[in-house]
Amino acid sequence: MRHKHQYRCGYMRESASQCMTQGTPQNESLVKVRSKSWRAFIASVVAGACIFSLAACGDNTPSSALAYDSTHNTWASEKLTPLTGEFAASGASSQKSAVDAWIVGYSSAQPHISISYDPSGSGAGVNAFLTGAVSWAGTDAPLSQAQLQASQAVCNGDNAFEIPTYVSPIALAYNLSEYGLNGNAIQLSATTIAKIFNGSITMWDDNDIRQENPEIASKLPHIEITPVWRLDKSGTTRTFQTYLHQAAGDEWSSEPSETWPNSIGQGAKGTPGVVMTIGQAQGTIGYADYAQTSGLGTVAVKVGDYYVDPTPDATAELIANSTWNKDAHKQGRYVLDVDYATQSEGVYPIALVSYDVACRVYPDKRDATFVKQWLSYVLSDAGQIIAQDNAGAAPLPKALRNQMLRTVKTITSASDSKSSSGSEAKGRSDKASQHSTNVQVR
Amino acid sequence: MSDKNQTQTVEPQALDPDFVPTPDFDKFKPSRSSLAARKRTDLLMRILIYIAFVIALIPLISVLYTTVVNGVHRFDWYFLTHNMRGVVGGLYPYGGILHAAVGTLEITLGAVLISVPIGIMTAVYLVEYSAKKRLHKAISFLIDVMSGIPSIVAGLFAYAMFSLILGPGTMNGFVGSVALSILMIPTIVRTTEEMLSIVPVDLREASYALGVSKSRTIVKIVLRTALPGIVSGVILAIARVIGETAPLLVTAGAISSTNFNLFSGRMTTLPVYVYNEFQQGIASCPTISKFGSDDFGLCVPGIRMERAWAAALVLIIVVLILNAIGRLVAKIFSVKTK
Repeated sequence: MRHKHQYRCGYMRESASQCMTQGTPQNESLVKVRSKSWRAFIASVVAGACIFSLAACGDNTPSSALAYDSTHNTWASEKLTPLTGEFAASGASSQKSAVDAWIVGYSSAQPHISISYDPSGSGAGVNAFLTGAVSWAGTDAPLSQAQLQASQAVCNGDNAFEIPTYVSPIALAYNLSEYGLNGNAIQLSATTIAKIFNGSITMWDDNDIRQENPEIASKLPHIEITPVWRLDKSGTTRTFQTYLHQAAGDEWSSEPSETWPNSIGQGAKGTPGVVMTIGQAQGTIGYADYAQTSGLGTVAVKVGDYYVDPTPDATAELIANSTWNKDAHKQGRYVLDVDYATQSEGVYPIALVSYDVACRVYPDKRDATFVKQWLSYVLSDAGQIIAQDNAGAAPLPKALRNQMLRTVKTITSASDSKSSSGSEAKGRSDKASQHSTNVQVR
Repeated sequence: MSDKNQTQTVEPQALDPDFVPTPDFDKFKPSRSSLAARKRTDLLMRILIYIAFVIALIPLISVLYTTVVNGVHRFDWYFLTHNMRGVVGGLYPYGGILHAAVGTLEITLGAVLISVPIGIMTAVYLVEYSAKKRLHKAISFLIDVMSGIPSIVAGLFAYAMFSLILGPGTMNGFVGSVALSILMIPTIVRTTEEMLSIVPVDLREASYALGVSKSRTIVKIVLRTALPGIVSGVILAIARVIGETAPLLVTAGAISSTNFNLFSGRMTTLPVYVYNEFQQGIASCPTISKFGSDDFGLCVPGIRMERAWAAALVLIIVVLILNAIGRLVAKIFSVKTK
């Protein structure tokens, strides 16, 4: 009987949910009885059968650390509308690790859906969003006016909007391990950093570097500095150049762009490529996501009178000191004007801000429900913690998140906005505000 | 000199019709020094060829060795029977490749089902029906062009075609199968064509002489005789496409859960899995969080590289198994000759 049922499972998509509920006990039994060999054999046969029957087999039981987290999170205190099936998103590769963590966290509340995030890059992601192929997109650059115009075609005549969801400290990583300097952070000011990357400073024991590092001045080796930069187009490159452009003054004259402007030193593809290149040679320095730089030295950057290490918290300060872009805000969009040249105390000034693009009104109700739940989760405490732990993201300040949540709550679908009368709409907004207070409780 | 020899041999023949000329073999006998020179050349060339052989083997052995050494660590039962759903960063459920293995097998099978009939029928037409016709030249030319198509172009073609037919952003396993079949068809046509053209004409004529129709001769005699060659051609074509990353990245996408339905939803494949894992680099571990390392296992920062290596190892093993199956099939169906 059971066998027959499984057979039906494999060939009919409709019964996918039944398949999944069956899958869990089988997998658990597989783990529990591993000690007894004959039972393990039976279990492995069952697992083999699962290959031909279950639509959701092979799912992992998420880490107990996360399970603990999910019981304590309050982002979804009201009952979520259950969703099934597959949802697609695409966009900036910088967000990928965070999105992967969010998918796991969000899926624990919505076990019957699967979400894919295609890290095809900001431009490709937004283009896919503008064709309606994906329900939301991640991008390192805010939308252009042309893209906003185009978004009306897929957003039921309304503009799309973006909210910052992922802020990542960009560290200046260097490798001087043979000289024992990877442990203590080398201190550099924006001007010195610009001089290193534009080729004015070529040696590690240059006077400028010595003066900024009085404690280790004698240990600085007389070897060449090899700047390492991204070969591919990247939001990280743009952010780092924007920082140099704003903070280093005359030393960095070229306009920020997604491609690296000079060819001093060595190029490498992708953040892993940059980190690998730095790790392989002495005297290298490059920029990469802070979370990726373990084992390398990271530069403490001068802000005001102090040198600040790259940490998620110091980066969160930078975001807290930033303001919304006024023009974008009038259109209901949330674009951060980051003050890279800030002189405030305890702020780490180089951070990549990555946005999620979504519609205010979706033609399809299923998409609207999903994106609303997804963005609410991402902006919740639970979402921010999971991204900080597993992707090295800087947590967004609560005040900003609450502002954005108010907009997220208004995401709706075309059929909703047509059918709802005034009183219903009011009821919904009450519910929404109740939800947002629940989020704040934590 | 040659004039003189000629006159000598021609003359007795003219006198005696039964005369059989016997060449003077001693004249052709190599001298001692030329024998030694030949042996030296032989030895030299032999060494050169051996060295070339070893050089050709170095990358192969190096790749196999590196993959096994790096991949065997993560290659276990859990890895083979779980997907990536519920896996976060470097935390304990380290995840697996079940979804990617299923995707690779289904998409490749789909591509085989599309391209084998088309490929073999094209080859039959080229060899048996269209010799020296204008269409023959045209098809041959197009097949040559097709075999030069970069794989990403095939992927984009399939993606664009399905986007036009089924709406923008259509990504599923079948789109991937179509993209791969574009890459497989030229290989299959070319190998099958070779195999069909070396089937002796005598066999066909013998069959015709017994009154068997042309179509029946092709199916029962020609294809039957060429079967082992065709099978190995198909396997070569599979080996050509099973490691393709770019077209599948565009057409089938990637997703963390297991999807058995070739016609709906994204499907991860092994090469795309390896690419994605490598692309993401180091996994970050919770440091400041109170949930630090958990009871079930430590957080592994290099987990993505380990998974990528292990998945590459699985891919190599899958190709080896397919090869073995193909050889077995070819052996079973080969024509028994006594």
